[in-house]
Amino acid sequence: MTIKLQNISYSVNNHKILENVSLNVRKGEVLSLIGPNGSGKSTLLNVATGDIKPSSGSVSYDNNAIEDLNIVERSFYRGVMSQSQQIVFDFSVQEIIEMGWIERGLPNYSNHFDKAVKEISSLCDLENLLDRKFNKLSGGEQRRVHFARTLLQLWRPSNSNEPLFMLLDEPTANLDLYYEIKMMEIIKLKASEGIGIFLILHDLNLAAKYSDRIAIISQGALIKIDEPKKALDPVLLKKIYNLDMVIDQQTMKVSYF
Amino acid sequence: MKLQLNYNQVNSLIRSNFFKFINKNQISILVITLLMTVLSLFIAASIGSFNISIFDYVLSTSTSLENKVLEQIRMPRVLLAGLVGASLGISGASLQGLFRNPLADPGLIGVSAGAALGAAIVIVLGSSFIPDYIFGPFILPLSAIMGAALVIYLLYLFTKGFGYQGVTYMLLVGIAVNALASVGIGILTFISTDSELRGLTFWTMGSFGAANWTLVFPAIIIVIATISLLIPFSRQLDLLQLGEPEAYRLGVDVKALKFRVIISSAIIVGISVSLSGMIGFVGLVVPHLMRLLGGVNHNYLLPASAFFGASIMIIADLLSRILIQPAELPVGLLTSAIGAPFFLWLIFRIRKT
Repeated sequence: MTIKLQNISYSVNNHKILENVSLNVRKGEVLSLIGPNGSGKSTLLNVATGDIKPSSGSVSYDNNAIEDLNIVERSFYRGVMSQSQQIVFDFSVQEIIEMGWIERGLPNYSNHFDKAVKEISSLCDLENLLDRKFNKLSGGEQRRVHFARTLLQLWRPSNSNEPLFMLLDEPTANLDLYYEIKMMEIIKLKASEGIGIFLILHDLNLAAKYSDRIAIISQGALIKIDEPKKALDPVLLKKIYNLDMVIDQQTMKVSYF
Repeated sequence: MKLQLNYNQVNSLIRSNFFKFINKNQISILVITLLMTVLSLFIAASIGSFNISIFDYVLSTSTSLENKVLEQIRMPRVLLAGLVGASLGISGASLQGLFRNPLADPGLIGVSAGAALGAAIVIVLGSSFIPDYIFGPFILPLSAIMGAALVIYLLYLFTKGFGYQGVTYMLLVGIAVNALASVGIGILTFISTDSELRGLTFWTMGSFGAANWTLVFPAIIIVIATISLLIPFSRQLDLLQLGEPEAYRLGVDVKALKFRVIISSAIIVGISVSLSGMIGFVGLVVPHLMRLLGGVNHNYLLPASAFFGASIMIIADLLSRILIQPAELPVGLLTSAIGAPFFLWLIFRIRKT
């Protein structure tokens, strides 16, 4: 039950963006991807979603090569949240969340619809915003709505045992401190329910606290992938970020100024 | 564990949940606009330069002259007006959704201009090159549809098969194609004789006066078939509002959706323009009004725009027939006269919010 990226290389006009990256996203883990701007994080995530076809290397979901899964089957396996685009028409918050619901042809699955929407909007603290117009919300609130939509896409009845993955590109961008922590807690909760989560983070402290493993990428190459205590090495991080860092090995707090 | 579903099965699932994403208010608006369409059909068929009661016709107490006027002149005309209104309304709504732009309408991607060029060629050059007996009354609509099809083909060619480059590019190509078609119409206008010029001018103002069963009957069948192929994809149009990459990740084949919406619009608009001339603002204004009334989701918006477009077009045609009797006002003039100020109000309203 993994997403497997094997020997991924990707280049545009002879400019190498990713070079020979291999990693697995396992069931029930939070795998954070960190690295400086332009290091290839988003590209790697988009290779994992199936949006970008790598120049060489292979991507598989649960041992199915991604080319063999049509786009609807892919949407059953994984939910994606990335930097979102402006929505032109005046949809309500509830309508945007409901866009994550994909009919799956399973008996009685449809009957869970209302329950699932309710469950997820309460989990994400969005109940009071459901009737509001999406376009009237602040940037952070809009992000939370998109997150809820991604959760609805991966909602399953509790007896389900399907392999599921969440791929998130800086999910906490624009969030205030409270909802930043809240979203990471939800991500942790979903991982404990068995969803494999692969996310890009900039905040090393969040990564250290909430990840099961951290992957460090620099100039298109995977430098290290390991549990936070082993991955966050001050010498290595200084080389990559060009910043002096102090890491408290007890609390795993990272200070860089 | 691979999920055992083939692509068509999954696709039909996406289309199947029509009632899940439509609310009670929207259903009642749909019912009301449908009733409005039926009612306006009856009213417009009864009123005219002389009035005929539908009840007399149904009870067979009307005279044979009345029957003839109703059957041969009024009915095809009223049905054509409804058909054109529905076509413009629904293609406006779906193109606005596809381009994620509230100002898109069939005119914008050059389809109307292409159809107009095709029609202008027949009006100005037709009689001297193609003898009447070959295509008979179908020559003008056929040429207009070919014009619309040519524009679509050019769009397809320049955007590499409506590719994955985003719709802005397609809009720009549409503007260029539009300009090219205007050049063609300009040249034809320049070389036309006085009487051809008159025909051309009246055609660009729009009229349902030439409606007859030979033309209207096949048009009804094609337009209704096309619309019923379009409506099941309204859920995908909703998802597209999240952006093309997001829609793709939710399982929408964006390229196929573009192809379907654009081809369907070209067919219904090409047919409408060919049979009635240029009728402005309906494709733009009707979807807006429906969004203001009931909401923005396409399950509701597409059928509502079709019904409402049909009913206001039937009424506009009725007004154009009776306002300055015994003469007739070009209906395109009327829709633009009402549509343009409404559009201004709309722009004003968008700026304020």
